[in-house]
Amino acid sequence: MSEDEILVGSLLEDTWLTLEQVAAACDVEVDWLLAHLNEGLFPQVASVAGVWRFSTAALTRARRMRQIERDFDAVPELAALVADLLEEMDALRTRLRCRGG
Amino acid sequence: MQFKDYYQTLGVARDASAEEIKKAFRKLARKYHPDVSKEKDAEQRMKEINEAYAVLSDPERRAAYDQLGKGYRPGEEFRPPPDWDAGFEFSSHGFSPHEAADFSDFFAQIFGGLGGARGFRAAAGRTGGAGFRAQGEDHYAKVYLDVEDAFTGATRQISLRVPRQDERGRVTLASRTLNVKIPRGVHEGQIIRLAGQGSPGLGGGSPGDLLLEVHFKPHPRFRPEGRDLHMTLPVAPWEAALGAVVSVDLPSGPVKVRIPEGTQSGKTLRVRGKGIPGEPPGDLLLQVQVVLPPADSPKARAFYEQMARELAFDPRRGD
Repeated sequence: MSEDEILVGSLLEDTWLTLEQVAAACDVEVDWLLAHLNEGLFPQVASVAGVWRFSTAALTRARRMRQIERDFDAVPELAALVADLLEEMDALRTRLRCRGG
Repeated sequence: MQFKDYYQTLGVARDASAEEIKKAFRKLARKYHPDVSKEKDAEQRMKEINEAYAVLSDPERRAAYDQLGKGYRPGEEFRPPPDWDAGFEFSSHGFSPHEAADFSDFFAQIFGGLGGARGFRAAAGRTGGAGFRAQGEDHYAKVYLDVEDAFTGATRQISLRVPRQDERGRVTLASRTLNVKIPRGVHEGQIIRLAGQGSPGLGGGSPGDLLLEVHFKPHPRFRPEGRDLHMTLPVAPWEAALGAVVSVDLPSGPVKVRIPEGTQSGKTLRVRGKGIPGEPPGDLLLQVQVVLPPADSPKARAFYEQMARELAFDPRRGD
């Protein structure tokens, strides 16, 4: 591919990612994701007709949880709790930014 | 290429135990965690800390680094001798291609071939299999755009660092530049999929995709939230008190907005459908900010004095 070539991307309007795509993007095994899903640590991820559908928010959550588990040898439930708090902080920061803070 | 002192990065002695290294890493990982750190260079520091820990926490890599780095000082020009790693045997302790892309050239030069990126190692081991066919991995990267790009669409040049395996099996970091057409209507957190731009497939398998997660650079006026667009709208006191139609400049061009009579500072006006385009488009949310004209001339002062006399207005009164 030449550097001048222009790539046209498709926009994932609803941004659903598969289990395998999320695993590859987060450098985790599919089994790691499945174990966390079965423990209910991804509350916003739904299984539709037996297929897991991840949003980009769930992708960010997976990356965070993996990092917390790895860096601090945290148990999955603790990593999920930290991810919950970080998501809450993200939401508050967004509200603050939108108010011009 | 400059020598990196990983012991200095983690703030430990060269004879530090594995436990001391882990403890130092955790302390720094907490301090520089990009989500919570107040340090300006937290993200960069965290990459350096991760890189140092990837080496010093692995006994094999640490031994190789210690032998290779004898006599070198941080920042000193460094070039490893050819086949310096011939006497080492490395296990499969791996770091992923995504992590390797965040590490320095120094790291890639030394450890590219040592129990390296597991995706590449696994791939190399499978290519010999007769009839083996596999799709390439999807790659993932963040891309930072201007808010204006969401309104107009744009072509942006995006540079990525990607790990590649050379003919000797070593993983090196290569720069890859892509010209990407940004679709109109893209918003924060959305993913642009570039088909076939991930890892190549094996045995004739199709290549993976490149997934670009969209983020916006901070903008002095516009603050996007999903497809909604927030901004501060400065208005004169008489525009707020009497009502007015004012022009607001957006990336798609100016729009006329009616300010209702009696609008107070801090109130938010919603203009439907004038945010980031899409199906449906977002809204424009204007936070009204009443700006007082300065009382810096006798005439201006006279106006204010007249209002003080005739309006009998007390903003601190509760009703």
